[in-house]
Amino acid sequence: MNNQHTIVRPIAALSATLLLALAAACSKPADQSHAGAAPSTPGQTVLAPQGKAASKLGDLSAFRSIASDVAIIVDKGDLPAAKARIKDLEIAWDSAEAGLKPRGADDWHVLDKAIDKSLAALRADTPSQADSKAAMAALLKTFDTLEGKS
Amino acid sequence: MNKLPTSSATGWLNKVPELALSFWVIKILSTTVGETGADFLAVNAGLGQGLTRTVMAALLASALFLQLCTRRYTPWTYWLTVVLVSVVGTQITDLLTDGLGVSLYLSTAAFAVTLAAIFYVWYRIEHTLSVHDIVTRSRELFYWAAILCTFALGTAAGDLATEALGLGFSWGVLAFGALIGITYAGWRMGANAVLSFWIAYILTRPFGAALGDLLTQAKTYGGLGMGAMWTSALFLAVIVMLVAVAQVGKNVHRSAPFAE
Repeated sequence: MNNQHTIVRPIAALSATLLLALAAACSKPADQSHAGAAPSTPGQTVLAPQGKAASKLGDLSAFRSIASDVAIIVDKGDLPAAKARIKDLEIAWDSAEAGLKPRGADDWHVLDKAIDKSLAALRADTPSQADSKAAMAALLKTFDTLEGKS
Repeated sequence: MNKLPTSSATGWLNKVPELALSFWVIKILSTTVGETGADFLAVNAGLGQGLTRTVMAALLASALFLQLCTRRYTPWTYWLTVVLVSVVGTQITDLLTDGLGVSLYLSTAAFAVTLAAIFYVWYRIEHTLSVHDIVTRSRELFYWAAILCTFALGTAAGDLATEALGLGFSWGVLAFGALIGITYAGWRMGANAVLSFWIAYILTRPFGAALGDLLTQAKTYGGLGMGAMWTSALFLAVIVMLVAVAQVGKNVHRSAPFAE
């Protein structure tokens, strides 16, 4: 009976302490907002369709560059290759959700929806080049709008 | 202090673990492991959300069946069921939010009401909500229904905090950790034990998710950058170790419950 106490308790306490230490070590509320939300220049802002400032989501270039890869492959007409490449975007986007979403949930949802549409277009039973092309164009435009570039 | 297991017509012993520290550690870590596992199947393995949901629901049904068939607390069956309940509870909320476009305010309120209704019926029929006396089939079913509901509620409330307040995981760990601390302090100061338990059970869901995110997320986002695989491997190792210790302990001392 005492065995249980002597074994379980220290292990449980140890792992809990370890986790708490980890949590404490990194709970510095850093990073909430250093999201390079560099406001775009006034000129650019006026050019943006909705007149919105740059997204609070911060640097999206890593995601955009995969999307533009996909768009190029779609333009070449190689839909299976585009379908394979867009999975990288899906995985990267999905795994960054917890980091990105709190920065600007509304913007995150706009982009998430656009990515979903592109995935759906390329993963259709018989994907059409026209649909895929339109979806990718819309996705790239969404990136640009969010970054205040378009 | 030790409580004598209440015998019943079924001759069951209490089928759920006593609430030691290891209970809460496993419970918190299992959230992350379950979520990573489901994400892996849905995205990396390419099963898609629909098929993953079906697979997880089937696994949960099997685990729950095993758990219901046991006659006393069996650590590995119990915790396997908890992990799967955690996954399915999360998927229910995600399906409502992403699939059906239900607002998080609405789903949070709806799950809170559902949970209250489960407790109400449970209490009306059993005259107790104690988790120390899960000794009949109907109590056990109430117990698992309530647990499924707390995971769905915890997910919805946690997501709502992210969406409405912009609460990231660093602040999430602090905020939910503080709320758990307050609940613990309240319990130590004499607050109702059953109520404290279920509040803690809800709060540990978003706390576990935030803790998992803290380890998983890239440094650019303020995380530790361990990645989902390593975080889950670490958590799974701790869970397996704690459950194995509990299982071995059970097998050695068949009926030596140790409470706080």
